Amino acid sequence: MTVTPPAERVGQAFARRETAGRMLAEDSERVALACRDMAIRFHRGGKLIAFGNGAAGTDAAHIAVEFMHPVIVGKRALPAIAVSNDAAAITGVARQDGLCEVFAHQVRHWGAPGDIVLGISTDGRCVDVLRGLQTGHELGLLTVALTGGDGGMLPTSPAVDHVLTAQSDDPAVVKEVHVTMYHILWELVHVFLEQPGLLGPEVIR
Amino acid sequence: MAGSDPPEGMRELYPFLYSGESEIEAVLAEVGRSTAEKAKEIVALRREVAERSGALLAECGEAMAKRFAMGGRLFTFGNGGSSTDAQEVAEAFSYPPHGRPLPALCLTNDVAVLTALSNDVSFEVVFARQLAALGGTGDIALGLSTSGGSPNVVRAIEEAGRRGMLTIALAGYQGGELAELPTLDYLFAIPSSSVHRIQEAQATVYHVLWELTQDALGELSAQEATA
Repeated sequence: MTVTPPAERVGQAFARRETAGRMLAEDSERVALACRDMAIRFHRGGKLIAFGNGAAGTDAAHIAVEFMHPVIVGKRALPAIAVSNDAAAITGVARQDGLCEVFAHQVRHWGAPGDIVLGISTDGRCVDVLRGLQTGHELGLLTVALTGGDGGMLPTSPAVDHVLTAQSDDPAVVKEVHVTMYHILWELVHVFLEQPGLLGPEVIR
Repeated sequence: MAGSDPPEGMRELYPFLYSGESEIEAVLAEVGRSTAEKAKEIVALRREVAERSGALLAECGEAMAKRFAMGGRLFTFGNGGSSTDAQEVAEAFSYPPHGRPLPALCLTNDVAVLTALSNDVSFEVVFARQLAALGGTGDIALGLSTSGGSPNVVRAIEEAGRRGMLTIALAGYQGGELAELPTLDYLFAIPSSSVHRIQEAQATVYHVLWELTQDALGELSAQEATA
């Protein structure tokens, strides 16, 4: 058995990220359109509801704190909650109705029609995330999904308005691309919000 | 295009917004170009981190594996966005997609302890006090701070060092106050002036660290089997 020296292994591990990182650029138009629609919702007083399982749940929390308490001084705080943070609600609903219903329940009871739901699933095969997005869609919320690989159930779901996909099958790499994606989402939402003229004629009324 | 006065700095950052262009398509295209630029930036930054810190990462992965092999546990901590990264590090080690599940705990998960210590003592002591109660020689402390100056992260690393724990920190810029700590065993400072890019590169650093730890653990057990 040949053993790769550790230093070389580090190089290989970093190299495995390059393609997916670069391919994000190809999604730039999709990202811009999602930001514009999110900005319209925020402009009208909507809030963001984010969720995900496991590691994706930590990303939901990161997104919420990004909007609520911007790292860039002078940027407006925008209302956002990560519903996957609530261990009591999650385990309570899971015990009664099953894990698949947790996010749907929270969206139903926290969401208003003018809000945004953002579901994260690195492979798009999380039923609870899809159910959360579907419930949001039924109630009239804007629905955004971050996923990776082939996107699983998300790209074909009529309930999802914007699907942003990281081009990798490795959940760790998908997560890393997601971090860049949601940092850009946050930044561009503010670009649109600071210039409401860009939000289109339907907003200026 | 709205004619209101732009916030300070906006014109320099996004000149396309003030070009008098009225078509939304043109604006979307320009905003899209800004996405492409950021994608390029993070790819270049990761490459720089691999070059600068590659050897140190390999060494750190081996040191972590040795601790885990002896029954050590991992404690992670950070504030704000970094607290969510700390949670992910603990999750990655304890419930990995493949490889050996390892004992790891994120200190920010316990809201009761965090608020009790903050209310009764100060926010500065939260992680240090938790490590004093839960950690011991043989364990690993991993703190994240984009500025490198979070007082509670600094104090926790000091406490962990006093207790003989392996200490690791992920920071940005030149590592801030963390870079001054004699008790810190491994510091990975991401050379960027953007908090966002720092956090993105940090995610890669801890994922690679997890991978290297798993590899080193595999080698340790192979050596044991042949010994």
